[in-house]
Amino acid sequence: MLEIRNLKAEIEGKKILNGINLTVNSGEVHAIMGPNGAGKSTLSSVLAGRADYAVTEGEIMFEGKNLLEMSPEDRAREGVFLAFQYPVEIPGVSTTNFLKTAINETRKYKGLEPMEATDFLKYMREKMELMEMDKSLTSRSLNEGFSGGEKKRNEVFQMAMLEPKLAIMDETDSGLDIDALRLVSNGVNKLRNKDRSFVVITHYQRLLDYIVPDFVHVLYKGRIVKSGDASLAKELEVKGYDWIKAEVEAAQ
Amino acid sequence: MSTIETLKKDFEHYRAQADNSAFTQQRESAFVELQKLGIPTIKHEEWKYTNLKFINELHFQSSCLHTEAAKNYYTQNIVQTLKANRLVFINGSFEATLTQIEPEDAAIVITNLAAARIAHADMFSKHFGKYAIIEGQALNAMNHALMSDGAFIYVPEGKQTVYPIIITNISDASEVNVLNQPRNLIVVEKNAAATVIESFFALGNHASFCNIVNELYVGENASLEHYKLQRLQGEHYQNNYTQVFQEGNTHINQVTLTLDGKFVRNNLHFYMNGENCNTLLYGLYLLDGNQFVDNHTRVEHAKPNCFSDEKYKGILKDKSTAVFNGKIMVHLDAQKTNAYQRNQNILLSDEATVNTKPQLEIFADDVKCTHGATVGQLDEEPMFYMRSRGIPENVARKLLLNAFADDIAEKIKIPELVAILEEQIEKKI
Ligand SMILES: Nc1ncnc2c1ncn2[C@@H]1O[C@H](COP(=O)(O)OP(=O)(O)OP(=O)(O)O)[C@@H](O)[C@H]1O
Ligand SMILES: [Mg+2]
Repeated sequence: MLEIRNLKAEIEGKKILNGINLTVNSGEVHAIMGPNGAGKSTLSSVLAGRADYAVTEGEIMFEGKNLLEMSPEDRAREGVFLAFQYPVEIPGVSTTNFLKTAINETRKYKGLEPMEATDFLKYMREKMELMEMDKSLTSRSLNEGFSGGEKKRNEVFQMAMLEPKLAIMDETDSGLDIDALRLVSNGVNKLRNKDRSFVVITHYQRLLDYIVPDFVHVLYKGRIVKSGDASLAKELEVKGYDWIKAEVEAAQ
Repeated sequence: MSTIETLKKDFEHYRAQADNSAFTQQRESAFVELQKLGIPTIKHEEWKYTNLKFINELHFQSSCLHTEAAKNYYTQNIVQTLKANRLVFINGSFEATLTQIEPEDAAIVITNLAAARIAHADMFSKHFGKYAIIEGQALNAMNHALMSDGAFIYVPEGKQTVYPIIITNISDASEVNVLNQPRNLIVVEKNAAATVIESFFALGNHASFCNIVNELYVGENASLEHYKLQRLQGEHYQNNYTQVFQEGNTHINQVTLTLDGKFVRNNLHFYMNGENCNTLLYGLYLLDGNQFVDNHTRVEHAKPNCFSDEKYKGILKDKSTAVFNGKIMVHLDAQKTNAYQRNQNILLSDEATVNTKPQLEIFADDVKCTHGATVGQLDEEPMFYMRSRGIPENVARKLLLNAFADDIAEKIKIPELVAILEEQIEKKI
């Protein structure tokens, strides 16, 4: 589904991604961990098409198409979804209107008729139930005045609405209380299926107890320096990153 | 012939047939004032960014032309779905055939000024020329000396308009460069309530200049919903002076929508002459091409315990320019004044310009006054967020700009007007 080859990216001349290789197949869940400033959010931003970053080398293929040549909106319509580490507040635009526009623009792209208003509301209600979302949140302006946790839950709700093929979740667990963490993880697990893949960026093993990954990668200094299965996350939880950093230094 | 010479000739022509009433004498002195002042230049502080040199350059003529085109234009362009009382003026003169008065509003006087001067002489002389200042105001003086006709609205004590009153002014420049100088007088008596919409259109390939003066009197405990809708596409210029005089306990909601304008200068003044007034003034301008709009507002708190809330917002494309100058004056004995003012602008191009300036003159000490102005681009972050959900750039921009305009739109209590606004946002962006 997703194939990243030797991806290098920089911002304002500062090299941040230094040759990332990652293959994600349909239905797989990959966790990406790594110390602060390693480049995890940069990787997700580059995948989503944020223009601030310059890709200097490498390629990203998504379902056989060159992702780097697509606009952010086309990537989304092709099925890439990024749950933001810091979701944006948009006063004056209701969540409902926002999602209706997003869904209908995607349908238009695929040559489908827009969803009828009543069908849309029914669909939205179903997804709200599935994600255990509170009605009061969706009737408000998008993320405006939402608490940190509410914003994260809204990201997952949007993901449920848009039904992407590939969901990249950038620290969706940060800032969640214990109950919200369970709700978010349950939500993600409900969306897991053989055709949908996840890249879950997190600092905490705790999340991976709920969303059990198929692979765990450690990103450090813009490179994936270690990969393993779910047990790698447990090992990191106990030992921290120093041993990995040491391994990297030794290899250089 | 230059515009000034035309004005002189027009005035001589008027004087030759005028009576010797106080009304005529007032106009004489207005003309003297105009000659004394001349047309203001950009050296004048109040006109620093707003160049009136077109008045002389474009050789305007006054015109009584009422073409079928203008009448048809009217029928096609004004919200016919809205049930309303209607008065129409073409090039400043009254087009009686287009008048519409709803029977439910029979208690309200809705007529043209020339007729009212005779039929309602008492009310006319009590209020006419009492609020719009002439001294030092060249364009007001010009209007006063050479005004054509306009609307006269009188809402008697305790009465309310059932349907809004729409005053439409059309500049028809299909034959020559026309100058028109309409004049409105609106009186809302004690305990009365009214909704008034002023709507401005223009047509024709020549230029037009509409120099309009509005006087509004709002009596004790009365309320007024007042909307201005300016849609002047093409070579059409407008100077719009509105003076609102408020007695105590009045409530006013005023919204100015400038949806098109080659050159629009609005001078909107409120004078709160009693306690516990509520004055809400809002504006939205949507400009593209090389359009220019200047909103000069002045909110004068003369008595204690009044509240004013002002918010003007602008969206500017291409090489358009906006000026905002908002003056809040709080007199010495206007204690416990609450006055708020904001001006926010979004520039959609590097070549668009905004000059914004708040001016506070506060002489009382126990007041709450805030003001703020912003000029910026559409934020990148919300843009990217929306795009990352599959919403293309132009749609995302529209959503964001609609959201920006929304808090002005929600001050408009007439859905048909909101629809016009939304349609225009859709069209322009
Ligand atoms: N816009 C930017 N301008 C300058 N430097 C940037 C910019 N964005 C990211 N960086 C730098 O790139 C590096 C990687 O940042 P990134 O946000 O990708 O890290 P991260 O792995 O997501 O960290 P965290 O775990 O703290 O979220 C950091 O050193 C950061 O300061
Ligand atoms: Mg990050």
